[in-house]
Amino acid sequence: MKLFNLGELNWRQTQLVYHALAYENIESLVLYSSRDSYMCVGLHQNPREELDLDYCTKNNIGIFRREIGGGAVLLDKNQVFYSLILNRRNPIVPYAPESFFRKFLNPVIEAYHEIGITANFNPLCDLVVKRKKISGNGGGEIGECKVLSGNILLDFDYGRMANSVLLPEILQERFLDLIQKNLTTVKRELGFIPSKEEICSILATKFSNLLGPMLKGRIDTKINKKIMELDKQYSSDTWLYQRGTKQIGREIKICEGVFLFHIILNHQKGSVEITFEIEDDRVKKVIFSDNFSLSNIDHNKLEEQIIDLKYNKDELVNKIIMIIKNHGGIIVA
Amino acid sequence: MEVSLLLNVKGLRFPLDRKYYTKNGAHLWLKQEGNLVKIGMDAFAAEMLGFLTFLSVTKRHVKSEEAIGSLESSKFISKFYSPISGKIIAVNDQVLSNPRKINDSPYDSWVLAMKPDNKVYEGKYIIEESDEILRWISKEIKRLKSD
Repeated sequence: MKLFNLGELNWRQTQLVYHALAYENIESLVLYSSRDSYMCVGLHQNPREELDLDYCTKNNIGIFRREIGGGAVLLDKNQVFYSLILNRRNPIVPYAPESFFRKFLNPVIEAYHEIGITANFNPLCDLVVKRKKISGNGGGEIGECKVLSGNILLDFDYGRMANSVLLPEILQERFLDLIQKNLTTVKRELGFIPSKEEICSILATKFSNLLGPMLKGRIDTKINKKIMELDKQYSSDTWLYQRGTKQIGREIKICEGVFLFHIILNHQKGSVEITFEIEDDRVKKVIFSDNFSLSNIDHNKLEEQIIDLKYNKDELVNKIIMIIKNHGGIIVA
Repeated sequence: MEVSLLLNVKGLRFPLDRKYYTKNGAHLWLKQEGNLVKIGMDAFAAEMLGFLTFLSVTKRHVKSEEAIGSLESSKFISKFYSPISGKIIAVNDQVLSNPRKINDSPYDSWVLAMKPDNKVYEGKYIIEESDEILRWISKEIKRLKSD
């Protein structure tokens, strides 16, 4: 097992390095941070549908589509990244995703504890402090390896994140409110930011306690060659804007259990644009757009039928369609 | 009405009207329908992976054990490997756009239909006898518990 303690890298390198190590089947822990801001989307996301590309371009915010899971996230210099790369046949690697995250996020929880923050694991893979997310994580199979990648949020630019995400106008303010309410940082919790070197040193110790001693890793020619090869592949529009499977509506995740689910349904008199606010996996609020044009539908009554329903996209959409039909509306494709 | 035998292992159902692909925790089922083979994910996978959020498969000719797509559950990406060689003729758009259907009803939620290269598809990792399925699933449950 190798330890790559890489310090600050340029934004593309922060993603390329762990992908390259996984493809080269090098079991390792990588600790590093990014010099610049960028938006990183999950494998199944298309940046055109998730990000405000104009804002990102105007503000020099790079865009990367990674091979691991999760949603769009702003990554920048105020975060420490860790990536753990293990061969998927290594007997210490758990079978189920949740067990994988639970086991390998434990050293990160211990690192938070050591700096004085009582972070806990919140399945599926968030680390939280008093129900607020303080670390985002994702994972996946890359080559022959399973990879965990995540961050320690030292500080966070909420406004920049909200501006970078592509949102219907009615949701922009609400999204900002929700991330401010549900995301915390080391700075918010401690009132100061420990040095990145100190955090990396604690992380290295905690991971070594779980995985055994680690040898110092060096980015050699072979790894560099892979990094360059992947850089070419991941820079292409074919990769970046690869169209995933079209999903029902648009789901914007804030943290585990907290979502905005936005849907536009066309009917014979116009369109119905509805956003559901989900908390603890239940509908807590329904927001109607101004163009909600079936005037014989009472918003309050509709809301009564939806509030507190368990969050299931299919069922929510079917319920809305039924209500519209019962009021004489016809949904058109 | 079609009636098929069912194997129940610790609450997980395995209909015996189809074969199962077992390599590296793949947990896929294969069901012959005419000259096509429908392929989906079994009850163990649906339970173990948690709610599926994305599933992507492309229509093309594939070789056995080749990665043909990816799936996402619990913010984790897993690869979808083809159990047999053949041409993917169709994908189930309803399941691809809402993969949670697999969690709700794994055996009704086929993912892809393939025209196999060989009429007879069998091998070390494709099983169909109830005692084989029982042995395999019991071992898998034990492995999951030891995580």
